[in-house]
Amino acid sequence: MTTYTKEQVKNLVDGRLDWDTTTRMLTMPKDHERFRLYLEVLQERVSWPDRIVLPLGPALYIVQSATSKRWVTKCRCGHEFCDYRENWKLFANIHVRDTPESMREVYPTLLAPDTRWQVYREYYCPHCATQLDVEAPTPWYPVIHDFEPDIDTFYRDWLEMPLPERVD
Amino acid sequence: MDMQRSKVQVMGIDAGGTMTDTFFVREDGNFVVGKAQSNPADESLAIYNSSLDALSAWQLGVDDVYPELVTCVYSGTAMLNRVVQRKGLDVGLIVNKGFEQTHSMGRAIQSYLGYALEERLHLNTHRYDEPLVPYSRTRGVTERTDVQGRVVIPLREEEMRQATRELVEAGAKAIVIVLLQSHKNPASEKRARDVCREELKRLGLDLPVFASVDYYPSRKESHRTNTTILEAYAAEPSRQTLQKVSDRFRKHGARFDLRVMATHGGTISWKAKELARTIVSGPIGGVIGSRLLGEALGYENIACSDIGGTSFDMALITKGNFAIASDPDMARLVLSLPLVAMDSVGAGAGSFVRLDPYSGSLKLGPDSAGYRVGTCWPESGLDTVSVSDCHVVLGYLNPENFLGGAIKLDVERARQHIKAQIADPLGLSVEEAAAGVIELLDLSLHEYLRSNISAKGYNPTDFVCFSYGGAGPVHTYGYTEGLGFKDVVVPAWAAGFSAFGCACADFEYRYDKSVDIALAQDGDDTQRTEACAVIQAAWDELAAKVIEEFVNNGFKAEDVTLLPGYRMQYMGQLNDLEITSPIAKASSAADWQKITDAFEDTYARVYASSARSPELGFSVTGAIMRGLVVTQKPVLPEDPEAGPQPQASAHLGKRPFYRHKRWVDADVWQMEALQPGNHIVGPAVIESDSTTFVVPDGFETYLDKHRLFHLKECARG
Repeated sequence: MTTYTKEQVKNLVDGRLDWDTTTRMLTMPKDHERFRLYLEVLQERVSWPDRIVLPLGPALYIVQSATSKRWVTKCRCGHEFCDYRENWKLFANIHVRDTPESMREVYPTLLAPDTRWQVYREYYCPHCATQLDVEAPTPWYPVIHDFEPDIDTFYRDWLEMPLPERVD
Repeated sequence: MDMQRSKVQVMGIDAGGTMTDTFFVREDGNFVVGKAQSNPADESLAIYNSSLDALSAWQLGVDDVYPELVTCVYSGTAMLNRVVQRKGLDVGLIVNKGFEQTHSMGRAIQSYLGYALEERLHLNTHRYDEPLVPYSRTRGVTERTDVQGRVVIPLREEEMRQATRELVEAGAKAIVIVLLQSHKNPASEKRARDVCREELKRLGLDLPVFASVDYYPSRKESHRTNTTILEAYAAEPSRQTLQKVSDRFRKHGARFDLRVMATHGGTISWKAKELARTIVSGPIGGVIGSRLLGEALGYENIACSDIGGTSFDMALITKGNFAIASDPDMARLVLSLPLVAMDSVGAGAGSFVRLDPYSGSLKLGPDSAGYRVGTCWPESGLDTVSVSDCHVVLGYLNPENFLGGAIKLDVERARQHIKAQIADPLGLSVEEAAAGVIELLDLSLHEYLRSNISAKGYNPTDFVCFSYGGAGPVHTYGYTEGLGFKDVVVPAWAAGFSAFGCACADFEYRYDKSVDIALAQDGDDTQRTEACAVIQAAWDELAAKVIEEFVNNGFKAEDVTLLPGYRMQYMGQLNDLEITSPIAKASSAADWQKITDAFEDTYARVYASSARSPELGFSVTGAIMRGLVVTQKPVLPEDPEAGPQPQASAHLGKRPFYRHKRWVDADVWQMEALQPGNHIVGPAVIESDSTTFVVPDGFETYLDKHRLFHLKECARG
């Protein structure tokens, strides 16, 4: 089985991995070590002591609180949103683009969607103002709960790693 | 050594990325193969060293042999590498205004060319290579010729002059001009070329200018643009390399004119105007060699199969001819060059073997260990199992005699890697796991060969299979078993077969041109005569180019045999067929009848008689002109027969060999010591320095007077 070094995974996270290695990673079955190395790399880059359980985006993670062992959704800056089973977007700052003028800030005229049909909802961290997600629903649609991961099965059957302790 | 030694007549060169092979053939058909480390800085030196190595077997020197050679053919990967590594000349490109980005977009297809099927499906692996000419050295000029060839907007000449000045300013060392529809009406592009030259002259500069219409007047502008750019970008630097090679030959008394293997299956002079068509040559050599061998043996239908370390290439010869693809892709570029049609799959003897940890299935390739062999070579630095590792563990390969003992292989190291990576996770023994890998490779190649033959409408029982390439003979039994080929042939010089094939190729120029003729089945005589006039005009134009090339090489026009051809399809169908014309000149309605009859005959052979559809009418899509002159070719060796029993000195001993879940003792034979007529029943392994021929239980082989092994299935012993 081909394996990769932590250095290579670091470069992958930074988008600096050479293309040959990147294509090989993309096209080959995933090596067993990868997720563990990936978590290690991510963990080294955050300033807080809580253990990362699952990354949800470039700056958003499900973490195990170092003190309470509760699982929460947390921003890279340290801001905690909510319990990992809840929709973190409901606790974020929201900017909605629902007028042609606000759309023109991101796309030239006629290249943006008609805001009577589609709007953009941008979700920001209330603490560091990092844009964490953007959704593009019809105007009346409720806030989307993207993803409710089955972390227990993921760790047990796919990663074959012990599940981090959790207090509910 | 003979008192009157046989003269050495033919030399083939295969200058690869790591090794430069040379192949010398004597008048009596005997040959030697030489090897030397390649030298990208001075290829001529590597060829010289490789020649010394080869000729030392005959106790001859370069100064004895170069002067008596009558033919020398070069094939190499230098130009291809120059393109792949983007180390060509700084070219400037002039196109129609508004089309400046077209070259970078590569018809979208260039983002995944060369990928295996499953990778093509994943968009995140698609990627555009750096374009041959950057946007910063591309300029657009106002001009438009429509699809019918009418000039709708004439060329703005002042813009052309401006563009020329800007490209010079931007550092262009050559200028390529490609305008839309110039294959249909060359007027605007030719004018653009002349204006560009005038402007360069006015600036006092001597830059080469390449107009696509002078080189590749074919439809599909991405193909045409890439090919014309290659001519400026890579072919000119390669010409200097070949000049050096030719100079060194001359210094040692050579009198022959160096020729280069080209994509259309012929060889051309290194001085030829269109040198871009020599970009790929190695694998083609094998197909040409197979055709010559087939002619000598009386085989018309041949399945050519070539296994190297990284890929399995196959081509079909039917009725003594190979197929030509007119707009193939190479090095992840779409091109308008005629290329001998070959199919390739990225599985070879050096392919890496991996286990999918989730499905538990084995995966071969697509990447490979290449010259690093596998984990069995401790110095390789590899830790991923390769197919060669499995061969070594199972006794197929001799760890002491790999590449003639040049490197020693560590069987135990390979065992450990196979155990950890494949056998243990699957709960198998090392032997079972390694045998599983070999069976998987054999099965995939077997299926690939079978499906490629049947997909083209043929049946393997009508074919003879030729198997060559350094690793071919190891697998021949595996991918031919049960397919029912009439005969399976393994040349004793399998490893040098491509170089041999290059030496077999004709001195042949070929020029192609797109034409548009569409005529209904019941077209009247006037229409038929007009269609013939269009074809004849194209043939005349192409014949002039062919003859010009030969005249430049010191031949007379009357020495040249011209072979006109055309590409034709039923109107509205998508695929055309290349036809060698039954007539030398086309002028009358009766000629048109012969042209369509020849097409329909070929169509019936390739597809089926009942699939012929003359009611759709006929389209001619391209005109072709080939020209040949007579050259010296290698003759096949003919050795006297020595009877079925090999001499005792050829027997090297026995070796444990694993297949079908058991170890057996295989006889090991020295390939060079076997004599014509010798008959060997498996399990046996026949070894030489450059290749290993495996004859397992259930197979037998005999060596004929031409030093060709014939492999047959027989009852299990």
